[in-house]
Amino acid sequence: MSAVLAEARWPEPGDGPPPPLPGFVHSPFAPLVAAVADRCLTRRYGERPVPPGTTCAVVLVSAAGDRPSAAHVRATVAAGGRVGPLFFFQSVPNSVAGHVAARWGLDGPVVCLSPTGDPRADGTAEADLLLYDGDADEALLVLVDEAPDGTPTGAVAVLLGGGTRQ
Amino acid sequence: MAEREPVPISGIHAVSALGRGADAQLAGVLAGTPAFRPVRRFDTTGRRVTVAATLPDVGTLPDELTDATDAACRAAGLDRAARAESALLLATHGGPLSQPDAFADDRPLTGADSGAGNGAQVEVPALVGHLARRCGLGGPTRTYTSACVSASTAVADAATMIRRGDVARVVVAAGYLVEPDQFALFDAGRAFAADGAVRPFSAGRQGLLLGDGVAAVVLESAGAARRRSAAPVATVRGWGRAGDAYHPCQPDPAGRGLARAVRSALRRAGLDAAAVGYVNANATGTGFSDASEAAALRLALGDLADRVPVSSTKSVHGHALEASGLLELVVTVQALRHGKLPVNAGWLGPDEACPLDVVTDAPRPVGSPYALSLNAAFGGADTALLVGAP
Repeated sequence: MSAVLAEARWPEPGDGPPPPLPGFVHSPFAPLVAAVADRCLTRRYGERPVPPGTTCAVVLVSAAGDRPSAAHVRATVAAGGRVGPLFFFQSVPNSVAGHVAARWGLDGPVVCLSPTGDPRADGTAEADLLLYDGDADEALLVLVDEAPDGTPTGAVAVLLGGGTRQ
Repeated sequence: MAEREPVPISGIHAVSALGRGADAQLAGVLAGTPAFRPVRRFDTTGRRVTVAATLPDVGTLPDELTDATDAACRAAGLDRAARAESALLLATHGGPLSQPDAFADDRPLTGADSGAGNGAQVEVPALVGHLARRCGLGGPTRTYTSACVSASTAVADAATMIRRGDVARVVVAAGYLVEPDQFALFDAGRAFAADGAVRPFSAGRQGLLLGDGVAAVVLESAGAARRRSAAPVATVRGWGRAGDAYHPCQPDPAGRGLARAVRSALRRAGLDAAAVGYVNANATGTGFSDASEAAALRLALGDLADRVPVSSTKSVHGHALEASGLLELVVTVQALRHGKLPVNAGWLGPDEACPLDVVTDAPRPVGSPYALSLNAAFGGADTALLVGAP
């Protein structure tokens, strides 16, 4: 099993909404992921990027990706309208995972999951698999909390490392 | 207990606009005739591009996934007991189902034929459980929503789970059926080829086109395959996953992430670059993306990149998004089995940014029993699967 190297939440006491994220519109999904990832990695490393030689994966777990944006696209298309081009880029959770990876120099695998059980257990299992396999030696796990209607309400980021490598 | 042997693939199945079944995929990619045609499944009024590679007769995504998974299990010879101990990894889009109908001759079915009431409306995250129950798969489940590397990541993870000894057998299933929302998004992003053709690595390429793709593959431990006297169709020899750390949705022009994925796959397989006899490329027909992949191949293979036959079969079956990695793995396995390398359709002429040996005019004979299937996605996600003859 891997060890927890750092952990963060958004919101934490005193937090308001996450800062807007340039290039991402309409939904708190991507800003939450970016904010909680920044907080977690800052606690571990202080400054960007991660140290040379660190290969860190990004594992993003959410029930069904950015549901407010997907619902907006669904409604727009169903009404015969045209969607804005920025929605193309944020139509998959990989994009904000890639934003975090580029910002922090995380050049391990990028994996997005929809949990089939407990989200943290699912995400940790995936991170452990990547660490065991050697494609990463750390993994930033990001879990997005959602209201019943799919609106993202918060996020948890956990930096995992160590464990048994193949 | 951890194994070191190659991971057998004991059953495959795929559906695309090229037809139903693994043999139909091979016939289609060897013929090299693109399957793109006007979209009739939904209204494309106002879109820049109005073509895709679609099947005129197609079920709902949950039904097609069930059929493909069941067919792959039957091809692998899995009985009820073997299915009950099999894990299921699903690769699919995480958003709402924007196309809940089945179609016959491009017209939506209604009533008893529509599939409604039989899980036709099941979405992620419930879909994988629905699929497992319908196919009698009783092992662990996982759902990948990693865009265009979803399926290939699932295959890499399945091989790792088997090698680590977590499970004896994993069924990987993947599906994307062309539907109005992603079509509208790609059109809005100006990602489509306005000339209606996908021309990977070619001069004059204008972009990608979407295509239906539903596939399933059974992987198992070598020991488990031997115990039930299974006859593998191929083996997964190596795999690699990496990230570009470059941009939310543009690939690293230097191809460094994809090159690391290829090197990881070769290292796990214990093979030199010279052993690779074919590359089924990710190439989508997009200018900067294909050039990035060509750079990655040069980084990973060195001067051998001049001589390894390469093609992207997206040029005939289109881009199946989350399912692309599994559809293309099936195509690659079929090419190795039958000794012929697929054509890269749409070729207009060489592009100096893509100095590769592209299979353009006609299928070529297989020169080595090892092939790479590459995929890349938004987020800078890269995968490489190295498959071999059984």
